[in-house]
Amino acid sequence: MSLRALWVLSQEKGEPGKVRFSRRFPTVEFRAKSLVGSQYVAVPEDRDIPQLLLTELGLLDSDKPYVDARDNCARQHRSPAVELRLNGQGEKTLWPVITVIQGTLILACLPLVEAPSEPRPSLASLASVSQGLAFLTGLQDFLCGPGSKPEPDVLASRLAALPSVLLQVCPLGRPLDTPPPAGLVPAAVSPSPGGAQKQPAWKPVVHRGRATVSVALTEKVKSMQYGKSSRQDLWDVYGKVMCKCEVEGILPSVTVTLTLPPNGSPLQDVLVHPCMTSLDASILTACSVDGNDGSAFSGPYKFPFSPPLEPFRLCSYTSQVPVPPILGSYQLREEEKHLKVNVVLKLHESVKNSFEYCEAHIPFFNHNLMGSVEVKVSSGQLEVSKEKNLLVWVLGQKFPKSREATLDGTVNFSGTVAGPTDPLCTGLTAYVKLYFRVPDLTLSGCCVDQHSVQVYSSAKPRILTTRELVSSEYYIWNSTGDAPVSSGLTAL
Amino acid sequence: MPDVKNWDQQISSFLLSPSQFLASTTCESFLAEVLHELRNDKANDQLKILLVSTLLEHPMVLCPSASDGEETALELLSIFSHLPQKSITLKCNVMLAITNVLICTSCLATHSKMAEDWLDLLFETIEDTNDYRCSLSQQPLRATACDCILELEICSPGLLSQKLEALNLLKHQETSILHQSYCTLYTLVLKNAIRTLTNQKEVTDLDFKSIFSGNEGFAWKTNPNFLPLNMMVQVPRLPPGLDCKELKSITSSLLDESYLLTPISQSTLLRDLVEIVAMVPGLSPTLFKSQLLRLFGTADIVLMHATLFMKDIFTDSLFTAEDENFLLKRLVGSAQHPLLRIPEKLFYMDCILHFPENRPISSSGEESLPVLITPSLAASLLPTVFNDSATMLCRLNLLSLVHLEADEGEAEKGISYLFDHIMALLKIIDGDSSREVVVTTFRALFIFLKHFNGMEEFSDKLTDKLCEIYSRHCQLAPHLIGLVDRIQDCLEEPLWSVKLLRGLQKCIQEIPPIQLTIHNLTWHLKVLKRVAKEGQIDQRNTIYLLLNVLINSNLCEIGNWQIGNAVLAVCRNVLEHPSIDRMFIALADLLQYISGNYDDMDIKDHAHFYYTLLTNLSREKLAGILAKDLDGERAKERSHSSVMAETDEVAGNLTVRKTKKQVLQLIKVEEKSPHSSSDQAESLGTTEETKNLLAVYQRQFQVPGFGSEVTLKYRLTHTDDTDPLFDRVYTICLQFEVKDTNYTKVSDIHVPCVFRDREPPEVIVKLKPHKPYPTTLHVSALFTTQDGLSWHSLLPDVSVTFPEIFLPLPLLPNLSSACKEMVFDKIWESGASGNPDKSAISLFCFKTGDEGLADLIKTHFQGYMIANEQRERVWKVLLFLPPKCHVLFRITRGEDAVQVSIATDNWELLPLVNTYLQKITDP
Repeated sequence: MSLRALWVLSQEKGEPGKVRFSRRFPTVEFRAKSLVGSQYVAVPEDRDIPQLLLTELGLLDSDKPYVDARDNCARQHRSPAVELRLNGQGEKTLWPVITVIQGTLILACLPLVEAPSEPRPSLASLASVSQGLAFLTGLQDFLCGPGSKPEPDVLASRLAALPSVLLQVCPLGRPLDTPPPAGLVPAAVSPSPGGAQKQPAWKPVVHRGRATVSVALTEKVKSMQYGKSSRQDLWDVYGKVMCKCEVEGILPSVTVTLTLPPNGSPLQDVLVHPCMTSLDASILTACSVDGNDGSAFSGPYKFPFSPPLEPFRLCSYTSQVPVPPILGSYQLREEEKHLKVNVVLKLHESVKNSFEYCEAHIPFFNHNLMGSVEVKVSSGQLEVSKEKNLLVWVLGQKFPKSREATLDGTVNFSGTVAGPTDPLCTGLTAYVKLYFRVPDLTLSGCCVDQHSVQVYSSAKPRILTTRELVSSEYYIWNSTGDAPVSSGLTAL
Repeated sequence: MPDVKNWDQQISSFLLSPSQFLASTTCESFLAEVLHELRNDKANDQLKILLVSTLLEHPMVLCPSASDGEETALELLSIFSHLPQKSITLKCNVMLAITNVLICTSCLATHSKMAEDWLDLLFETIEDTNDYRCSLSQQPLRATACDCILELEICSPGLLSQKLEALNLLKHQETSILHQSYCTLYTLVLKNAIRTLTNQKEVTDLDFKSIFSGNEGFAWKTNPNFLPLNMMVQVPRLPPGLDCKELKSITSSLLDESYLLTPISQSTLLRDLVEIVAMVPGLSPTLFKSQLLRLFGTADIVLMHATLFMKDIFTDSLFTAEDENFLLKRLVGSAQHPLLRIPEKLFYMDCILHFPENRPISSSGEESLPVLITPSLAASLLPTVFNDSATMLCRLNLLSLVHLEADEGEAEKGISYLFDHIMALLKIIDGDSSREVVVTTFRALFIFLKHFNGMEEFSDKLTDKLCEIYSRHCQLAPHLIGLVDRIQDCLEEPLWSVKLLRGLQKCIQEIPPIQLTIHNLTWHLKVLKRVAKEGQIDQRNTIYLLLNVLINSNLCEIGNWQIGNAVLAVCRNVLEHPSIDRMFIALADLLQYISGNYDDMDIKDHAHFYYTLLTNLSREKLAGILAKDLDGERAKERSHSSVMAETDEVAGNLTVRKTKKQVLQLIKVEEKSPHSSSDQAESLGTTEETKNLLAVYQRQFQVPGFGSEVTLKYRLTHTDDTDPLFDRVYTICLQFEVKDTNYTKVSDIHVPCVFRDREPPEVIVKLKPHKPYPTTLHVSALFTTQDGLSWHSLLPDVSVTFPEIFLPLPLLPNLSSACKEMVFDKIWESGASGNPDKSAISLFCFKTGDEGLADLIKTHFQGYMIANEQRERVWKVLLFLPPKCHVLFRITRGEDAVQVSIATDNWELLPLVNTYLQKITDP
């Protein structure tokens, strides 16, 4: 259950990769050698790593149309681990190199294979693989933080801090913990007093001061709407509960309860944080891959736990709701030299008509740049971005009283410069994408009542609960064109 | 010792490539410098942590032998003990470094004294739980000591097996976060102790009990590494009937407190406990029952993985059929959970394919589906064009397996969904898309065809679609050829590949001539070349097409060599075609036309050569010549040929073969007297010039190339390999490659012949250093054997040692010794006064008798002697190192030791000089 080596690489587009950080664990290497004897393959020097790894990841020589070592169709890239082929060493390969890629950063580690090298064991049978994976995702959070891309100087300072982080969480190649998430240091803390109560390793310090518990429930809705009788529309809802608990004591006990409305469909695929102290079997029974079971448990969902100090994801779930929040239709027709566009959006009556924002983006791909745009909207405003071939329909905070809004008109592509392209959206294959956020709403009806949050501590805590609904990949496809299949579930 | 050094840069270049870094210094001297700087009180902790990192990461590079390791560990220990208390982080790093060095140099395995002392010290550290006195600041030291002991136990399983009682007490007392370290250590030691006991033939209750109450010394016996139990064919077990009450209470309490550990450490603990329970028949797996629910619901990948391990080891003694079904459903759900990350989901899919079933049908370890996975359960994992490529390929592979096994009705629907998905991908690449999408699509095609190539309705449609796309995007040629080759590699029946190739041939034939540009013709010719390899495909159309194109276009006038070569490559494969008789005339026409009309001499010649082969040789002979290259070595041989890569196999003479073993070697000719510089010095002699001797001496260096060469003599001989084929080799061309950047390129050397039964020829290698460091030369040779075949062979590397670069003072040999001494003194003076600025002086002492000293000087310094004042017991030695470095020795015999005062104009050489002196004076 150890790692032989760890690397952080960066590759800017078109440039060769660069090792930004690396660490080898020689005692693990020593074991690797004694485990497989003559089959042993040494880890190459750092200067050779970028070339080897980037070839496997298909990121090298982007100017060459076909390189067999990189593009060979029998080399399957369908696992989190790749195999490095070491040049000039016969058929020698190094496996399994686990990688996590975020933007221009590539994180990689080489777990120890505690098995004879022939036949090659499966990834699933190696304990070090899941540990390596967890370690890398922790490292990803440490380096990149919650945003997608850290500033160069921030990244550099986090990289510089890595040796001291590793001293704590992985001093000799055997991970003891994941690196801590970046930039999440709790406010008022003090070292643990040290008494009879054993202190959890994931909570080296305790909170001092007023107790505060915040519970934020975020639900996301994905949708694919086709506007065709032959193709079933799809919408998926999934939610997560984020907690931040500032409560005194080494192991304070907190309980959060999620409730559903009387006829709500059960929460499915519930995954919980390891700090959960006990779990009711009925909470886990509903599973999305299983079809709907009407008799299933539908709450209340009690989650007793002893919280760490940093914010964490208490649980996540998926849910099946009967209707999508916004039902749309999109019709695009080609007429002589222009496209005729018609979009209708209807807000479902069960959804609160109070948005933080609501926008519909209508992109046109694989055309020349737009010329004249003659489009009218029944509500909200229209913004035209000619250089991006994009119409943005800003619906604002509210739908009109009728809960229905339309956009209608023609777009002409008289420019001579080619606009943005997309391999999927050719011809009349086109979509409208919705972006919206509704505060204080969930589609599943799931909510965390402020009074249901119980904290067993001396002082009365301040409790904050919020919930919101956010769109994610909400597409309405042109019903006159061919839309790509987005899920196998409806096809079978 | 030079004091100003850019350590940051040095260490990072060492870490980036130790081999390159050590090309310009030696590991002994680098290690000595590192250790020296670690002792420097003025250096700050941050720098020292950086220095220690060299030993943390590459202990084996810096300490190649056990004795080096022991010595270095001792040094580090003394550094450690002198560090102030506040340098916590540095102390932790030094601790790790010592542990690394001891384990890696086998000091642990060989039970060296140093390893023993170190383990004692570590154990004392973890037993000293009084660090509350001096606040919490000393805690990290204890944590690191625990980590080090843990690593020692892992590398030498059973080492602490007699310490369990003490460890239990420590674990029990510890309430700070260090509890995790003690707990993990205790569990591992317990597991290893039980594992060691399973090797014992008879185990009594007393033996068993004694492991818990042991508090003796360390068990210095070597157990081999223990493999995890899931890797064992048979799980080692203790005999039944032992009294397990104590062990049961220990394991339950460990399990009960496991939630105090971080998820990763929890998973390690769980795995260790699972192994313990599996090895002791008196313990029931139901011990874990209370944890199962928590584990089933976990969002944490390591805990879920540990649960699967538990399932693998205990199967139905812990997991009911219902549990199994439930766990599998959770896995499928997790494999597509929108809130998990992509690598995690890919891992879960891999876990589904290797799901440890209670009643597995096969146990091959290959990918196989658990029987419980049905098409409807897996439907949510069907691939879509919206997936990222890894997820898409992974899902496609999984679902292909699902539908191969499914009932007819379900399978039909499922496979046609997968087929539609492939068609959707093809539609995307038809619309001109990025390389990544193309590569992914071909990988998907490969997966689909691998599973469903036998279903003609799909495979035929794919053939048609691929040909149609090829006609619009001929740059897909290498992908298509790759697909054809790979499918042929993995299927016994190459039917589909032949169909596709036939389709592509037809497709190229139907392209209107106007569309055949030089650019797309290159792709088409690649495809046709591949098509010509298929015996089942008629090649006449290919030949007509080529002839037609050549006659009706201006290709022959343009005379593009690449195109000509590509056309000939097709012809070459056709020559080998089994039905060559049927297209004999057509091919002869084509070759004749090329040899007559193509405006490139090389192409003409080759076409004519093929024509001659075709028309003059019987079919059998032709096949024989062409088949010559069909042995396994083909790919390698071809890549070494420098001419006409595509057609060279025809003539064996053009092929360069690679020898399997080393045939030749270079042996150094030991010279008694040192070599003299080959350059002519300016004549000196007149008295006024001697006054300004140094200036005159230095002026010589303005002549380009002066004194810049080292000449080394070798003999080129056979190695011990006695293959008679190589007894006589001719026209040998030796090629040299310098491993580092310290030397300019060495030019090739030509030797007429080497015969095994004759005197080996002498070879003179001239080296021009930029910097006079030891180096290694890669040598290879091209030569011919008596049968006329050409060979490429590697020779053993030639290493050039430091003393081999020494030259005498580059002045006229007949110059009076007084003049030489004058130059010596001048150089010494300027060196000692720090001019030029890289100058340095140093001192080296050693003990030897009078005779020993005389011998030493005679053997090593004879040719470099400047002055020999025996009476005063002073010797002056000057080593000149090209291009322009001097190392001067003034050797004096002191009371009880010999002193070598050293002056040089390049301090970077000092470590090498030191090592050299150490070597020659070592008794």
